[in-house]
Amino acid sequence: MTTASIRCENLTLRFPVYGADAKSLKKALARAVSVGGALGRHAGVTDVTALNGVNLELKAGDRLGLIGHNGSGKTTLLRALSGAYEPDEGTIDVHGRIAALLDLSLGIDPTATGYENIRLRGRIAGLSSREIEGKMDEIAEFTGLGPFLAMPVKTYSAGMQGRLAFASATAVEADVLLMDEWIAVGDSDFQKMAHKRLLKLVERAGILVLATHELPLLKLYCNKVMRLEGGVASEVVDIRKVEQLLAA
Amino acid sequence: MDTATHMLRTGRRGALFQLQMAARDLRNSFARIGLAWSLATHDVASRYRGSVLGPFWITLSMGLMVVGIGFLYASLFNLPLSQFLPYVALGIVFFGVMTGTINEGCETFVQASGMLSQTALPMFTFVWRTVFRNLINLAHHLVIVVGVLVFYGMWKVSNPLLALIGIVLMLLNASWISLLAGIASARYRDIPQIVISVMQFAIFMTPVFWLPGRFGEHQIYLDLNPFYHLLQAVRAPLMGEPVLPNTYVVLVSMAVIGWLATFLIFARTRRRIVHYL
Ligand SMILES: Nc1ncnc2c1ncn2[C@@H]1O[C@H](COP(=O)(O)OP(=O)(O)OP(=O)(O)O)[C@@H](O)[C@H]1O
Ligand SMILES: [Mg+2]
Repeated sequence: MTTASIRCENLTLRFPVYGADAKSLKKALARAVSVGGALGRHAGVTDVTALNGVNLELKAGDRLGLIGHNGSGKTTLLRALSGAYEPDEGTIDVHGRIAALLDLSLGIDPTATGYENIRLRGRIAGLSSREIEGKMDEIAEFTGLGPFLAMPVKTYSAGMQGRLAFASATAVEADVLLMDEWIAVGDSDFQKMAHKRLLKLVERAGILVLATHELPLLKLYCNKVMRLEGGVASEVVDIRKVEQLLAA
Repeated sequence: MDTATHMLRTGRRGALFQLQMAARDLRNSFARIGLAWSLATHDVASRYRGSVLGPFWITLSMGLMVVGIGFLYASLFNLPLSQFLPYVALGIVFFGVMTGTINEGCETFVQASGMLSQTALPMFTFVWRTVFRNLINLAHHLVIVVGVLVFYGMWKVSNPLLALIGIVLMLLNASWISLLAGIASARYRDIPQIVISVMQFAIFMTPVFWLPGRFGEHQIYLDLNPFYHLLQAVRAPLMGEPVLPNTYVVLVSMAVIGWLATFLIFARTRRRIVHYL
């Protein structure tokens, strides 16, 4: 087993903005807002700097909470860590199997049943069909969805979809788990189960990166915290200093 | 560089590096070719979920179309059914696979946006998914092809091996066009409409429903039509007719030049495709 680690050096990520009216954007550039990344122009293309020179170093067992305003770059950082976005500058280096729970719809086909979706998601995560069948009972049990698993996912509530997604994504024995807010959709039962599974991840010396606006959740799951503001990252500090970080 | 347990992304630029990354994407997609297959079978299964006949609809609807058009045109143009029906059947089936691969190529990346924006999956996986999906359709249509060839006794003269080479050449070409359409459609949302219109035009410009016999001095229009060559390479051997060497020259050079150009475009845009979506 490889030991999990995450390392970002001077990570800068810009989104080119296609099809936006350049003039109205220029006007917007003049106005300073606390929401969103910095608008600018590079090589003649209008773009949003969603992450600006982020340095981050996490080692096995770290559970990092990401906080910051809407549009401060939390989701973008998680997507970059998942390998989906390539940096414009700097590097991202992640060791360990990555599981990203960023939006519930990953590989989830609403017309397919819960079982089929577990299979699909398992395949996307890199399991073979046989490995998935081997884990099926355990995953099914963990979702707690029972007979609903044989029904199309479009008949599920948001929380039920959350259970399905969480159970199938974490079944992969990921070393690095990336999560965006949504974990809050589950009910208290589910939160307890999720908590257990996250603790198991930590026991296995995995890494969790969780973006959330909810302080209680942050304190429950994380031991470190980092604040993003307009794509600029603060230092990574201990969770006990979260109030100071928020006040800053 | 990228393995199941190690992911490295850098802000490095430069033509050579971009080419290396594109080649790595292609390699990784082959390493996980089973995933593309799983996605494709899932697509086909889910399209026919809840229907009584399931994927058998693919065969049935094609069969109805072949018989309908075959009978109608044969009597309209006074052609012998035993010659014309196999001709139309092969034409519709193989032109359909080509059209399907190209048209659905427009959706390749758009459809995969959810997966592309939160995983490190290779982009090419989704290209193969589109190609495989159309191969599965073709497999369902083969029942009709074989049925017609056997019923009209054409199997005695057909050359399946040469036809197989034709199918490979057809897929090689359809897949680069499909990828190109996918990249362009992700960036410019007018492209799918354009592609569909062109393919619609092509099916009437190409001898799919009609015989090219009376072309005479206008033969040049056939020779210049790449879809004609693509279709001929598969249909002619199955009907026991010779394929002109010319056709192979066109198809092979089209595949080589097409793939080279498309791969260069892919290398240049690869990093951006996920932002287009
Ligand atoms: N696909 C995209 N194309 C263009 N700009 C984007 C895209 N995704 C995000 N952005 C921009 O990047 C910045 C950071 O967005 P991000 O989604 O990372 O914020 P966030 O911290 O997750 O916000 P929230 O708390 O609302 O979820 C924003 O300014 C946003 O407009
Ligand atoms: Mg977000």
